[in-house]
Amino acid sequence: MRTTVIVTALGPDSHGLLAQVATTIAEQNANVDDVSQTVASGMFTMIMFVSFDQGESTIAALKEALEKTGEAIGLQIHVQHENIFKFMHRI
Amino acid sequence: MVFITAQEILETVTMIRSENLDVRAVPWGISRDDCAVVAPRPTAERIHAKIVRRAGRLVAVAAELQEKYGVPIVNRRVSVTPISEVVGSDDPAAYVEVAHALDAAAHEVGIDFLGGFSALVQKGCTRGDSALIEAIPDAIAGTQRVCSSVNVASTRAGINMDAVLRMADVLLAVSKRTAEHDSIGCAKIVIFCNAPEDNPFMAGAMHGSGEAEVSINVAISGPGVVRSVVAANPEASFIDLADLIKRTTFKITRVGELIAREASQMLDAELGIIDLSLAPTPAVGDSIAEILMSMGLEAVGAPGTTAALAMLNDAVKKGGTMATSSTGGLSGAFIPVTEDAAMARAAADGHLSIEKLEAMTAVCSLGLDMIVVPGDTSRDALAGTIADVMAIGMINSKTTGARLIPAAGKKVGDWVTMGGLFGEGPVMKVNTAGNSAFVTRGGRIPAPLQGLTN
Repeated sequence: MRTTVIVTALGPDSHGLLAQVATTIAEQNANVDDVSQTVASGMFTMIMFVSFDQGESTIAALKEALEKTGEAIGLQIHVQHENIFKFMHRI
Repeated sequence: MVFITAQEILETVTMIRSENLDVRAVPWGISRDDCAVVAPRPTAERIHAKIVRRAGRLVAVAAELQEKYGVPIVNRRVSVTPISEVVGSDDPAAYVEVAHALDAAAHEVGIDFLGGFSALVQKGCTRGDSALIEAIPDAIAGTQRVCSSVNVASTRAGINMDAVLRMADVLLAVSKRTAEHDSIGCAKIVIFCNAPEDNPFMAGAMHGSGEAEVSINVAISGPGVVRSVVAANPEASFIDLADLIKRTTFKITRVGELIAREASQMLDAELGIIDLSLAPTPAVGDSIAEILMSMGLEAVGAPGTTAALAMLNDAVKKGGTMATSSTGGLSGAFIPVTEDAAMARAAADGHLSIEKLEAMTAVCSLGLDMIVVPGDTSRDALAGTIADVMAIGMINSKTTGARLIPAAGKKVGDWVTMGGLFGEGPVMKVNTAGNSAFVTRGGRIPAPLQGLTN
């Protein structure tokens, strides 16, 4: 079974942020399915749809790794299962 | 695949991270009907064993869901069948023993509070009910996590004034027994009219006799989210504002629905209800009072407060009802004083009185909630205040409750700090005009015409 999570990253812009987040995701055996990213008034905002197969990774592992990366590069990174967004905004 | 826009994703993240959207409680209702035996000790042992067996995984499941969805689940709680219906004894000591068993089980499974040390006496007391009420001071003062509620009135039965007087005595006794901690024991006692049997909120949570063997009830809360929306639209007309609140509470409630569905599946329990209540916490921004102030009131208690609250309460229900088919519990905006920092401030500044709170009770959820009164308040003044709140519930066919804290040794204007979700607030003035000849007449105020609906 494939799990899709949504990764959001917010913080001051600097070089290579997307690359470092994507590298961490790859290291956790997960795949970036879609990404959108903007910089406005020096603030970096990124949304990633990330998926992985059961057994290859877990939300907990991904979360821990990304939070560590976020701390290192100055971003607040959140990992949430896609269902919370589907449920909140759609019936 | 469901398409989700970037704006929707960021809105959800902002609600959780900046505006205190959380699941206030995942209460696990457990029937105790199979625990009744004649002797109290085996009953207490059976109750303890059943809670540990059935609720043992609740904390782990709540943690798993919190991790999966990134939404904080603030409390894990258990409610049980009203204990007076389970313990077949007229000895108060038996009930105290059961309270200790409940407390031990709550501690063992790692839950915050356990509700259901309760009796329903709106029409009259059985010997068991009477023994439970007598046991409340020892039960509450001697435990940490047990909460008690007594339903003394209903639209169908009227107000049991004898029970109201007894509960006033109970509050004074608990106040003295927990005087070292600002009489905090009284914060764990609710006196109800029309108590819902599926209420997930403490201290009044219970698992009524009409409920399933075990069920999950979820209380979702996000006053901060609603406040942000209201504050961001200062020019909106009443119709537009109501619409914005409805849209917001729809989204909040959907999160509760998701958590409830998954939790009930993981715990192999019935999905009970989603409580649509907006419940504040002492945290800045997580306040019902601040929503009302964002609507244009300088402070809660200003003229227009009741109208603003009525509109908020109604919009919350309308938005929430669209989001789930499992509504229940109290489902409305709460107005506790000490648990809402801006409400406590309004009371301290003299904008908010018990009488105004009584009016507000008529249009929202619960009633005179978490109100600290002087420790020397008389039994009859307490009873009269409780009776007034019960009358609002009885006549309007709604749930009302009183959670009054006569703080031992405290006078009007003193500040009481209970800590945690109980919060802090000023000691409020109680009208001291005599009422003894009224409240001590004895018996029951008859059921109103509104009760005759068949």
